[in-house]
Amino acid sequence: MSDRPLVQLSGISKFFSGARALENVDFSCHSGSIHAVLGENGAGKSTLIKIISGVLRPDTGILNLDGAPMEFANPAEASAAGIVCIFQELSLVPDLTVAENISLATPPRRFGLIDARAQRQRAEELLARIKCEDVDPNAMVRDLSLSRRQMVEIAKALGKNPRLLILDEATSALTSRDVETVYGLLADLKADNVASLFISHRMHEVERLCDTLSVFRNGQHVETFAKGVRSDRDIVRLMIGREVDAHFPPKPVTGKRAPHLVVEQLRWENRLKGASLNVGKGEIVGLGGLDGQGQKELMLALFGVLKGVEGRVAVGSTSGVPGSPAVAKSGRSRIALVPEDRKTEGLMLPMSIADNLLAASYSKVSRGPFIDPALERQAVADGIAKLQIKIGRPEDAVATLSGGNQQKVVIAKWLMTDPELILLNDPTRGIDVGTKQEIYRLMRELADEGRAILFYSTDYAELIGCCDRVAVMYDGAIVTELSGTEINEEAIIAASLNIDATGPLAGASA
Amino acid sequence: MSFSFASLKPEDKPVLIASGFVLVILLVGTVYTMATQGSAPLLSPNYLLQQLQTGSFLGIVAAGMMMVILLGHIDLSIPWTVAAAAMMATTVGGDMALPTGIAVGITVGLVNGLGVAYLRIPSMIFTLGVDSVLRGLMVWHTGGFAPQDQATPIMRFLAADKILGIPVAIFVWVAVSLVIVLILGRTAFGRAVYATGNREGAAYLSGIRTRWVIVGAFVISSVCAAMAGILLAGYSTKAYQGMGNAYLLPAIAAVVIGGTRILGGQGRYAGTVVGVTLIVLLNSVLSIMQMPEAGRQVIYGCVIVGMLLVYGRGNKVVS
Repeated sequence: MSDRPLVQLSGISKFFSGARALENVDFSCHSGSIHAVLGENGAGKSTLIKIISGVLRPDTGILNLDGAPMEFANPAEASAAGIVCIFQELSLVPDLTVAENISLATPPRRFGLIDARAQRQRAEELLARIKCEDVDPNAMVRDLSLSRRQMVEIAKALGKNPRLLILDEATSALTSRDVETVYGLLADLKADNVASLFISHRMHEVERLCDTLSVFRNGQHVETFAKGVRSDRDIVRLMIGREVDAHFPPKPVTGKRAPHLVVEQLRWENRLKGASLNVGKGEIVGLGGLDGQGQKELMLALFGVLKGVEGRVAVGSTSGVPGSPAVAKSGRSRIALVPEDRKTEGLMLPMSIADNLLAASYSKVSRGPFIDPALERQAVADGIAKLQIKIGRPEDAVATLSGGNQQKVVIAKWLMTDPELILLNDPTRGIDVGTKQEIYRLMRELADEGRAILFYSTDYAELIGCCDRVAVMYDGAIVTELSGTEINEEAIIAASLNIDATGPLAGASA
Repeated sequence: MSFSFASLKPEDKPVLIASGFVLVILLVGTVYTMATQGSAPLLSPNYLLQQLQTGSFLGIVAAGMMMVILLGHIDLSIPWTVAAAAMMATTVGGDMALPTGIAVGITVGLVNGLGVAYLRIPSMIFTLGVDSVLRGLMVWHTGGFAPQDQATPIMRFLAADKILGIPVAIFVWVAVSLVIVLILGRTAFGRAVYATGNREGAAYLSGIRTRWVIVGAFVISSVCAAMAGILLAGYSTKAYQGMGNAYLLPAIAAVVIGGTRILGGQGRYAGTVVGVTLIVLLNSVLSIMQMPEAGRQVIYGCVIVGMLLVYGRGNKVVS
């Protein structure tokens, strides 16, 4: 670690139409260091990295690079100076190939035209460096899974020879194997004297990787310290500014529950290969496993989105796979799905908070053929109050909310339909610690009211902390069900890799 | 003015700008006539009512078109839906004239809607094809000549008569407008149109029957076009080839000038009414000024592009 910081901010402030995003921030990061930036959503982390990477310009303050003041007019200038950012929102062009995306800004040229062969070779080299040889450089990005796209994004960033690499929630969509690869990569970069800024909501990642931690809260830099100086509890307290008692609500001790959802031998194309599962009333069943093992398809099938699903499904007193989401949410089955991507599947971002809340339950606020404005207002107010969504006015666009509050809107929308079976597809991805805990509490409350909950998460800690049982998927089927004290990280990982399908792995579940 | 602009909803701003521009057109036209003829015919109620009477045909077409544009789709089958409804109505004649015309609208709308929603053919292509098919069918039906059948008395009453000095066509336009406003604002279908237009995937996953929403919007569009066709035949006492050709592009322009996003999901019906008024008055002022046809087209095009530029400025991508 050198003495002079690579990037140093002093007195940086940024306001958006009067609202403070960052105020008088001093911050620095050094070459050869992996530096974590922690904070709730809305704490100013995203604004910070946008200023460093040239997307935004600060209202006041100075940015020094190698001790000399710099002003980046756009991200291309920052990238030329060696500051490369992997954004939370993926920035790939879906209709171009992997190789074209990796060299998008500066393609290799021959006689003024793009040299396709050199471009492909470059992509192969970069992908090999992050152990993604399985990604075909000629494949269209739209055909890749979310986790593969994220890896391509990382390869693209590496191709710019960064001196400072910024990862904004870059591991949230990755499989555990890829996460390991990224860890290795960051360690290599550190040895090469590259600085990394690492933004993540996952504490265990931060603890493993980073040597320095900075905490932001409400647009201000609270504290920077070396790893190990503060306990987890202290860090969480710094982030949310209050004590946190228990991370997860306690699980109730109950006996056998009457099954509400029964799935037997569910098959769909080559993604679901005979998945069987049941969820009881009042029970939270976790769905684990590596990314892309059919968890998403299982939920979509139960919600009536997929065509040509085979197998037996019973929800309460109804049987059969629903034909469409409209059928799934209504009548006796009353299913709700909180989808994977809240920005494209969960919300109509430009529409108002009120419109989004009502989108699944127009019939609830109608008298005869017409919507009753009084009922409508009441329903919206109830939804906002029940989830304590922090908003300005219900007429504001839902896009103006922070990620955590957006997810609350999605959940509130579905609670308005009074569902009996709730399917949650990774509902806490990319949202802040405070909101996560509210969602955990809410899930338990909903279960205690007698609803059945199926909960997919890529975060093992959530599965362990929240679920009464965990079903682990592998290659389109459920390979293991864990309950009670069997639910621990080793058991879930082993089951995810399908290495104890025939018997317990020696020492794994000890 | 500028201080209050910031607090306006994005969909209200175009309505205000377009309304302001309507006043500018009236002002410029009046200044011109005062200078050249010493009178102000543009401001006389009779003249304005007469303009709105011809404007009501466009207004009814635009009302239907707006439903489709709110979904991010477009209906290019308007011209021959107008003509086909008018021709079939005059052919059948008698008491069945109106129901026949409306039935033509419903049929065309169902075909359009089912093609776009279920066959997933882009609406721009599918409705263009339907327009061509309708044109062929009508040429076949009439032999390529203007049909000799006369419009029925009730068609003439609706299009050309007056009640209390106000043309009946304006009442029809007002009635259609009230129905559309009610649908958009106060029914689940109307809300679903906005949701589907914003993001079809999210609307579908909210349990909205998005396909039926699309079919419904296309039916409304075609029925509106059919009503305009019936009125137009009543106004000119008979149906004729190509009678709907002059309505397609002005209807799209009126909807977009009124602030409806061409990609769907956002827009207010009040804007469409203002957009129709703007286009009708612009046309009539230009003809009062005896502007040659070529100049009129240039000004007309510049106004549409200019207005959209003014609206577009505010909508910068916010990351």
